[in-house]
Amino acid sequence: MSEDTLVVEEKGQEQKEQPSEEKRAWQPIILGILCNWCSYAGADLAGSSRLQYPETVRIIRVPCSGRVDPAFVLKAFRKGFDGVMVLGCHPGDCHYAKGNYYARRRIALLQDLLKALGLPEERFHFEWVSASEGNRFAELVHEFTEKIRKLGPFTGVVETENKTQSN
Amino acid sequence: MSDIEEKIREEAKKALEDGKAAMVIGWGAGSVPFRTTPVFIENPDDVGKLVWNPACTNNLAVYLPKMAKDRKVAIVAKPCDIRSIVALIQENQVKRENLYIIGLGCAGVVDPSRFEEKGIRLPSITGIEWVDGKIKVIIQDGEQLVAPEDCLREMCLACTKREPAMFDVKFGEAVLPVEPKPRELPELPEERRKYWSEQFSKCIRCYACRQICPNCYCEVCFADRVEPKWTAKKAVPEENWMFHATRAMHLAGRCVQCGECERVCPVGIRIAELMREMAEAVKKKYDYEAGDPNEEAPLLGTFRENDVDPAQHSE
Repeated sequence: MSEDTLVVEEKGQEQKEQPSEEKRAWQPIILGILCNWCSYAGADLAGSSRLQYPETVRIIRVPCSGRVDPAFVLKAFRKGFDGVMVLGCHPGDCHYAKGNYYARRRIALLQDLLKALGLPEERFHFEWVSASEGNRFAELVHEFTEKIRKLGPFTGVVETENKTQSN
Repeated sequence: MSDIEEKIREEAKKALEDGKAAMVIGWGAGSVPFRTTPVFIENPDDVGKLVWNPACTNNLAVYLPKMAKDRKVAIVAKPCDIRSIVALIQENQVKRENLYIIGLGCAGVVDPSRFEEKGIRLPSITGIEWVDGKIKVIIQDGEQLVAPEDCLREMCLACTKREPAMFDVKFGEAVLPVEPKPRELPELPEERRKYWSEQFSKCIRCYACRQICPNCYCEVCFADRVEPKWTAKKAVPEENWMFHATRAMHLAGRCVQCGECERVCPVGIRIAELMREMAEAVKKKYDYEAGDPNEEAPLLGTFRENDVDPAQHSE
């Protein structure tokens, strides 16, 4: 199954093939950390343009992607979010001139850390989204939600005896 | 290598007498012959306390941010300790002009627990020396030569940087390992997660790894913070994961691979392996090595326009 399993519940939207009951039952919970000046404005644009996107994403607005401490992401996983996405201004477009360049290094290393610890890398998504890319934001949420739904619920940062049995 | 020990003592005495330093930090004899302990010498007559042998394992750079804050300190340091010092200087935690570095060429230091594998009972040891690239263990009724690969610390076996990178005076020659030993981790993500789950579930949150680490110099550690509470203090696997993962992130581009965290861990968590993975990623992505005096700025305190782009571009 590909994109056609999207949960599009609004009337008047392009109706895609309805996903099976089983799939509809589980909605991932995704944390979105968005920079105030670009990505959050992009999400806002998606909203004011009446674009539909899954309600799976919980958005936290930060002043800049440079504000995103990698520990935010680690803690989100520790607390059991199924996926985490961090979005910031395109390189060169930072409101604070270079915040996203610092973020870029941190995020790149965070990806290495997740890999080293054996966490599924696909559950973390980093992207540049500008204020005019409302469409793109909606698409990203669609795609990421779909990806996470395929992966299934996150079983936690560590493997414990009980969890392995119940899975 | 008692001649080097003698030279260290002379140099320390001179430094104290000439006013190059108000204190000398070095290693002294431990409570047993296969251990050493940090010594802090202010009186030139006490330099006889300094020793140099294959048991000089402590990374003494850990004392510098506090002790060399407002006075001059001479420090006896192995190449890995010197890398820590360089990283501390780059991050403005200590001033170069406050330091007098007595650098040592290194041949690796021992992990005494490995002597037992070679049939040497620890209580029978009366001394340890380097002799022609091997470790001479003096025991009550004679002596025994042990090959480095059989008794060095694992971190030392993998170490190829045994030449001091920054010093005011240098003694001894570096002896490089015959063949640096790679340390392996499970490949598959699922196995890795399992591996680290097992490792971290042992943690008792004593924070010895943090306390011994020269580059963990924060005045208030995130693990001790209550507001915001990054991680609970109880030793449960998830919280331990949070502590170790965040610490690994904090040390990315800082860790100089001295392996002290792993040595002091009372439950034997292989922290240094995680640190090494991160250091490899740092090297690969940014061609950056922590503790290299040629680096201009701390890794995460700078950037290049053409850095690796972590965005996943799903379109």
